[in-house]
Amino acid sequence: MRKSTQRSFTWRSITQSRLFFPLVALSLILLFDFIFIPGFFSIENRGGNLHGSLIDIFRNGSTVMLLAIGMTLVIATGGVDLSVGATMAIAASVAGILMNPSALRNEVFFVTDPTYTFQPLWVVIVSALLISILCGAWNGVLVAYMRIQPMVATLILMISGRGIAQLITNGLRVQITYKPYAFIGQGWIILPFSLYIVAFLFILTWFLTRKTAIGMFIESVGINFRSSYFSGIDEKKIKLLVYTFCGFCAGIAGLVASSNVRTSDASNIGLTTELDAILAVVIGGTAMSGGRFSLLASMIGALVMQAITQSMYAIGVPAFALQAIKAVVVIFVILLFSEQVRNFVQRISTRKKEV
Amino acid sequence: MLRPIGNFFSKNRNYIPVLATAFLALAAYGIGAYFFVGMRNPQVFFNLFRNSSFLLISGIGMTLVILTGGIDLSVSGVVALTTVTSAVLLREGWNPWGVILLVLAMGMTLGTIMGSFIVYLKVQPFIATLAGMWFARGMCFFISDNVVAIDDRIFQILGKTKILIPGLTELAIKQGNPAPYISIPVVVAFALLIIVIYVAHYTRLGRTIYAIGGNEGRNEQSARLMGLPVERTKMFVYTFNGFCSALAGLSFSLFVASGHGLYASGFELDVIASVVMGGTMLTGGAGYVFGTFFGVLVLAVTQALIQFIGTLSSWWTKIVIGVLTLVFIGVQTILANRKEGRQVTHALSPVRYRQRIIAFGMAALALIGIVFFSRFGSASQTETTANASCEIKPFREAEVARLITEGAAIVYNRTAGPQCVDELFAIYPDGRVTGNDGVNSVEQKVDPVEVEQALVQISDEYQWFTDAIYGRYLTPCRQCFAHYVSISYQGQEKTVSQVDGTASMPAGYTLTLAVIRSLLPEINPAP
Amino acid sequence: MSLSLPNPNHIYSSRQARMSESDQIILAMEGINKAFPGVQALDDVSLTLKKGEILCLVGENGAGKSTLMKILTGVDKPDSGKITLDGKEIQAKSPQHAQSLGISTVYQEVNLCINLSVAENILLGREPYKLGRIDWAKMNKLASAALHDLLGVDIDVTKPLGSYTVAIQQMVAITRALYIESAKILILDEPTSSLDVNETEQLFKVMRKLKNEGVGIIFITHFLGQVYDVSDRITVLRNGKLVGTYETSAITRVSLISKMIGRNLAEFDEMSKTKLESSKHIRQEALLQARGYGLTGAIQPFDLDLHVGEVVGLAGLLGSGRTEMASILFGSDKADSGSISMNGSLVLDYSPLGSIKRGVALCPEDRKAAGIVDDLTVRENIVLAMQANMGWFKYLSLPEQYEYAEKYIKLLNIATPSADQPVKNLSGGNQQKVILARWLAINPQILILDEPTRGIDVGTKAEIQKLVLSLAEEGKACIFISSELEEVLRTSHRIVVLREREKVAEYSGEVDENTIIHAFAGSEA
Repeated sequence: MRKSTQRSFTWRSITQSRLFFPLVALSLILLFDFIFIPGFFSIENRGGNLHGSLIDIFRNGSTVMLLAIGMTLVIATGGVDLSVGATMAIAASVAGILMNPSALRNEVFFVTDPTYTFQPLWVVIVSALLISILCGAWNGVLVAYMRIQPMVATLILMISGRGIAQLITNGLRVQITYKPYAFIGQGWIILPFSLYIVAFLFILTWFLTRKTAIGMFIESVGINFRSSYFSGIDEKKIKLLVYTFCGFCAGIAGLVASSNVRTSDASNIGLTTELDAILAVVIGGTAMSGGRFSLLASMIGALVMQAITQSMYAIGVPAFALQAIKAVVVIFVILLFSEQVRNFVQRISTRKKEV
Repeated sequence: MLRPIGNFFSKNRNYIPVLATAFLALAAYGIGAYFFVGMRNPQVFFNLFRNSSFLLISGIGMTLVILTGGIDLSVSGVVALTTVTSAVLLREGWNPWGVILLVLAMGMTLGTIMGSFIVYLKVQPFIATLAGMWFARGMCFFISDNVVAIDDRIFQILGKTKILIPGLTELAIKQGNPAPYISIPVVVAFALLIIVIYVAHYTRLGRTIYAIGGNEGRNEQSARLMGLPVERTKMFVYTFNGFCSALAGLSFSLFVASGHGLYASGFELDVIASVVMGGTMLTGGAGYVFGTFFGVLVLAVTQALIQFIGTLSSWWTKIVIGVLTLVFIGVQTILANRKEGRQVTHALSPVRYRQRIIAFGMAALALIGIVFFSRFGSASQTETTANASCEIKPFREAEVARLITEGAAIVYNRTAGPQCVDELFAIYPDGRVTGNDGVNSVEQKVDPVEVEQALVQISDEYQWFTDAIYGRYLTPCRQCFAHYVSISYQGQEKTVSQVDGTASMPAGYTLTLAVIRSLLPEINPAP
Repeated sequence: MSLSLPNPNHIYSSRQARMSESDQIILAMEGINKAFPGVQALDDVSLTLKKGEILCLVGENGAGKSTLMKILTGVDKPDSGKITLDGKEIQAKSPQHAQSLGISTVYQEVNLCINLSVAENILLGREPYKLGRIDWAKMNKLASAALHDLLGVDIDVTKPLGSYTVAIQQMVAITRALYIESAKILILDEPTSSLDVNETEQLFKVMRKLKNEGVGIIFITHFLGQVYDVSDRITVLRNGKLVGTYETSAITRVSLISKMIGRNLAEFDEMSKTKLESSKHIRQEALLQARGYGLTGAIQPFDLDLHVGEVVGLAGLLGSGRTEMASILFGSDKADSGSISMNGSLVLDYSPLGSIKRGVALCPEDRKAAGIVDDLTVRENIVLAMQANMGWFKYLSLPEQYEYAEKYIKLLNIATPSADQPVKNLSGGNQQKVILARWLAINPQILILDEPTRGIDVGTKAEIQKLVLSLAEEGKACIFISSELEEVLRTSHRIVVLREREKVAEYSGEVDENTIIHAFAGSEA
């Protein structure tokens, strides 16, 4: 149909790749860091483990990266999950209580023994993850079977989830001092341990979506669920799956986050992270209306967000001004992806072809 | 006799969600008044309005936005920005009326900008207003890092003026009670409510708003084909909501007499919940502005009830609101489907109807579960309450100050708790640790390096001497400890007092306590 | 702006005087061309409308009626051509603009706000004001009066529009359109599809009244009886071209139908030879048996047998229930009466996936909405149903997917640079082939094709028709649905005729065209 020259084909395949925009964004930020922040790229070796600003980006961004993995799949089906922050808090509360149930007896018991835990670590982790899967499934049932709009359905858990998390810890902040648990967020094996968790989840999800038919079905349902229905795809089951999985990812993120701050703080853990996760996915090029997705692009999107945060800290911007900067980024991304700009780019690229 | 009532209900089916909410609010209040004598005081009823006037103002604007099928997440940011801006400008000596006009204009401008993104750049309202919220909050901190107090005279007058209720004043005086009153923001809120109801139902603008949002957003195309000015109307709606957010912010700043960028966190959720419970569907096109009034009332009553119950913490409000929202969505959609069922929609209607019943059932189950759980929870609380009704000793503030002057680095006074203790510890830079509880005393030596390390951690990592650590004293719950901690290090001195189990305890404070406790000996041997 | 209804007597006399002069033309569309990617929707179409006349615009699916009306009402712009309204050349830029020019439209789907009251819908944008606020009492009265006077309908105008049936909603839409005083032309796009006999008659009364007042009316309908009841002239479109304009009194129903569906004798003979050959492969036992199978409101209960190696054509005019029959046979809609059995055993799992597992495939009528997944590639679209059949975890490896894709690209001659091209970039015909490929890939026993050649160029049409016959030869059973009778005749061994949602006749494939047309037309030929 259309014959294109070798060169323009390569250029188009690069610019049209989903990774193009987020990678460009990331490179720009890193370039900025390289020029303006001395020592940003330095990596030191402390006792066999690598440290440095660059490593910190990965480490601090691991929560959002974990969330972005689950959120990508949800958004790809045309939905959204606003409750991931609340799910994180619930998971953290469950973990905290199982290690230190003193709050249930209404004592704020400062455990100073780092080897003390009420339940073995595996029980703690498994329970927290099971609860977060349950939260995800709740959302899934509301959206897929009750046909409630995703934003509305997940809003409910978003509002009440933190209350539930408080309920679990009886309203008190549980201190976490159990060393092995703290390793999740703070441990280092050459690279921060949380990175390995992210990598593992990423590989698992990649496998689930690209080595089985699930990825194709998710995209199909997001693009055109009627056509998918006629082709025999059970859209309800797909949606239930993605929301449950998103809950699972939020659970892992909650464990990492709470191990980082050594408390399970029901009112603050994961606050506004759902918005960061959604933005990461949008930067990664997945349309909010659903369809094609790329896990890698979303991860890069999360890194972009974190890199901005880190760079701003490094040049001395106070923590709270960061929000305004994020807003500017959002606006920039919106403009870039907006119809006008897309049409403009299209017109330019077609003109190029004609020449 | 039941026939006219039945007819009324079938004719005005649209009103059912609103009436349900109204009924719920009033019934809840009634039940509360039955159980708690305090709630029978009419002032408590009027305080509901005083405490939630900003929620109502914001809810009114949000209702219009949601009616067009959109949403505005930026309200909390604009509220915070308004409080900070007014506080700082007043501190700089600006004319208060000028300040008021400026912040209102600011809110409208932000609303217009977001509106143009949504209408002309076709950005999803969710994302555009989210960006607006981040931007507004960020701007707060560019203006001021700390809480800024408002002590301008005009603002104080506006905030504290008591407006007596005509008719009830004489009645109260006759009974020997203080006359019940409301405040100016409440009057403003009601005035706004009336104006917006008028616009919504008696002007072309209002009807266009309803037209745009109907039929789950599909109406927008129809409205255009019918020749309605869709774009202009949507811009208006977002601009107006910006105005309302700013007005709510003003009301809030009058209420707390200060401004800070952290205020109104999570406010947008409360607003949305009020609107939804007031019967307005998030999909747009259906709902009543005065329903939002009842939605706000439900939130206020819930908050009041929980305060009165006392043993439940404020986070229960969030759960209750969440469940109520779910129930209302369920009811709304059941009713919506009943209407739809009249038309020819094959096979879907009975199935959807069944689904809605299941949703309703799930919500009811959840509600029952929570009530049961709370009973169970509070039962164990009442058990231990019976045992521990001891007297809470006051902090030994003078003694703490003396110990610091004598050279102690950390002095830690802990009271309350299940046995109402009164422990005072002092840690010295040379490693000496003393403690007494009024009866016994103990002394111990720890490694001075440890003390130094602890001080470094407390000061640098946990930022003890910055504004990140603040104190707030509340009456401790039966099981909670209260502490009074004074630290002196490298010429800096700071004393902070907090109570366990509150949501207001900064993370750094908790960590500091943990570090301190790791250095302390036991006064009495552990049981 | 006074909002009283036009006084018929006053206008009648002056208009009558004018009408007795040369019948003036109020609208002239000349040489309208409109092309969409891959298909010429309108090819040099012209249309004239006189003052005070009712013109019926008829044609089957894909004829171009809706495209032409979209151009007239400002929804689309023509590639070339001229439109003259009342002597002045115009080009409506938007629906509002068209309205202001005097073109009033009632759309096929009710484009009103169902959450608002009836009165509001009629007067939205023109609500009466009193002292700065909307005078609801007056609005309700005006609306009630309008409904009563114009359509003889008496309903409670304060109730939300959504609480009424679609028929009533349609009447309200008509009332709204008629309420505009300055309308020069009224376009009614299938307004009677949800009206019963009385309501339709009421509508016609109003149309005649307006006609007498000099308003020009374009009436689009597929109910031939109504065409003859109310119209003065008929314009026939077919495949984007103008077939002709005729005086209603001068053309019989039968010849009208022939003009609508046309005849193309060229390939006829060749195809019938192939058909004769393949009919030898038809076996006796029924592969699929439907008994009393129907869905209320969609299709009356019918009986149908389908044999191996057979092509059954469903013939009928637009709205006769062909798609509905197909969708309940496939299971995308659930029937509420009767049963079907396949290979002797009763079918219990009514769902698309269940049908796929049983070997039944449906190529839906609406290619864009229910067929292609436009952002996915050709390869993915082709293997989609096959993959759904295999479940979530048995994934076709990429090499296998490419193999299938290449196979069908070659087999069906799909024009695409590669299997990785997003399907949305293909022309309509090739998109159709991709969907066909999807269904062929699952190797079905029964293949239901609903309008597979719609909006496709002639060459591809022939390919597809030949394909259908060869599939039958291979031993599959096909149901072939098309608006073009010649196609159905060419490719079917048996023909089932539907009229007004009911199966009315069944003929062998050798049947004469005229017989079928008569069956379409019903008893009044």
